[in-house]
Amino acid sequence: MANTPAKPASDDPAVLGEEPPRKGYAAMLSALLVETRSVMPSAGATGLSLVLVIAAMCFLASLALGAALSVSHVTSDWTRDLSGALTIEVKPTNAMTPDEQIRAVLYVLSRSEGVVSAKALGHEDMKALLEPWLGTGNVTDDLPLPHLIDVRIDATSPPDLEALAQAIVAVAPGAQLDTHRQWQDQLMSAARAAEWLAYAVLIVVAATMVAIVTFATRAGLSANREVVEVLHLTGARDRFIAAEVQRHFLHLGFRGGMIGLFLSLTAFLALALQGSNTTMFMVPMSGLRLEYYPALLFVPLAAALVSVLTARITVMRTLHRLL
Amino acid sequence: MRYGMGPEVLRDVSFHLAPGSFHFLTGPSGAGKTSLLKLMFMAQRPSRGLITMFGRDIATLPRAELPDLRRRVGVVFQEFRLLDHLTTYENVALPLRIQGRPEASYRDDVRELLAWVGLGERMQARPPTLSGGEKQRAAIARAVVAQPDLLLADEPTGNVDPEMGKRLLRLFMELNRLGTSILIATHDHALVEEAGATELMLKGGRLTIRG
Repeated sequence: MANTPAKPASDDPAVLGEEPPRKGYAAMLSALLVETRSVMPSAGATGLSLVLVIAAMCFLASLALGAALSVSHVTSDWTRDLSGALTIEVKPTNAMTPDEQIRAVLYVLSRSEGVVSAKALGHEDMKALLEPWLGTGNVTDDLPLPHLIDVRIDATSPPDLEALAQAIVAVAPGAQLDTHRQWQDQLMSAARAAEWLAYAVLIVVAATMVAIVTFATRAGLSANREVVEVLHLTGARDRFIAAEVQRHFLHLGFRGGMIGLFLSLTAFLALALQGSNTTMFMVPMSGLRLEYYPALLFVPLAAALVSVLTARITVMRTLHRLL
Repeated sequence: MRYGMGPEVLRDVSFHLAPGSFHFLTGPSGAGKTSLLKLMFMAQRPSRGLITMFGRDIATLPRAELPDLRRRVGVVFQEFRLLDHLTTYENVALPLRIQGRPEASYRDDVRELLAWVGLGERMQARPPTLSGGEKQRAAIARAVVAQPDLLLADEPTGNVDPEMGKRLLRLFMELNRLGTSILIATHDHALVEEAGATELMLKGGRLTIRG
């Protein structure tokens, strides 16, 4: 008020806490962590409980995100491993000797495009495969066993499996191509289900957070109705009030998110330390792979963003009804 | 105007405040002084009749345009309506902050004004710790800080001693001299006498003009 009736200005520089200007990332960080005083009273105790609820939500979200990432990593591993491998089972028949069958099959394989290597498993290999199931020494030489041929194919340009199967049966009756496809399909669908479940948890957590923040924003506005009215009468636009409220929720969301992130990091590290003997949905839960830890940082940022947007939308809608 | 289905609190009230004028609004308690002020600072819309502020009909004004109009009006509420969680300084600076001005541009002005109304030492105090008179002066400072085109004050000298009352009147007259129209609702006849301004008298919901 430059033209106020003349009176010496009170020169009292000590009164106001002036913050030193900050630049760049430091400024962004301090804006997230240090709450400047809002013209809307901060919620106080409600603020703390809200932070805790958001922390719990973010903890769950981080776990779900970590699980989803781990599962998707493992399934892609499986796809790579299994689709590179085939087995041909050669059952004994009266028409040919097993050696003839194997030779015929290997010949067909060697002429097929997309086959990288093919190797008939010898008797020792078969014993090694069966002993875990039958017990050492129980695989006797006179036990009639099918012969197996392990085939590696080029996963990028695989052979025509159906034609291959037909060609094999044609040259060696009793030989059967096992593509592992059924086994792989079942594993994959179980893993996919687990992955979707994890994403569903993420969505539910996000929706819950929206609901909680909406509720808290409404409660805050009606508790501060008097303040809102004074602001309106002083000429404040809804935008101004929303900005004040959403700044408060930015801090609540981010703080809650950081606490949740910290808890989930602790959980993943504990899993990693405990060793790889835990499995969940057939996925070894030996903690989270290192490259996925940065992805978890996304959770507190998303929490802050979700609370800010929710608070803003709620304020704008509520104010329209209020006055 | 009326509240809900109640009787009409104000009727056949017709007056014009010229830019830069100084008026008092008097009348017994319950005559409708506060209601009239509420209509003028657009906290209430009239149930019938025409109210034009700065050339705009406020009954039909869209909600989005209210803030611009309200910024041209400073209000001293009867019950002060300071924000309890802010300091006195922040309360007084509020209209400027709402206008989006950076704090550096108004800090000295606000301090000067606070010193002028005798609150220089109480800048960092919060309203709950202020006395009635101090709250009133803070409320007045908040109303005048943005140099509004129109100042509406509801019993602005009700809680201060006559000495401070005169001082505040001088503040209002100074503001008026700088071009602000002033309307003060008061019971304080000494104040009216001293200012010698036009008096709008409300009685039984009707208005008579004296002076």
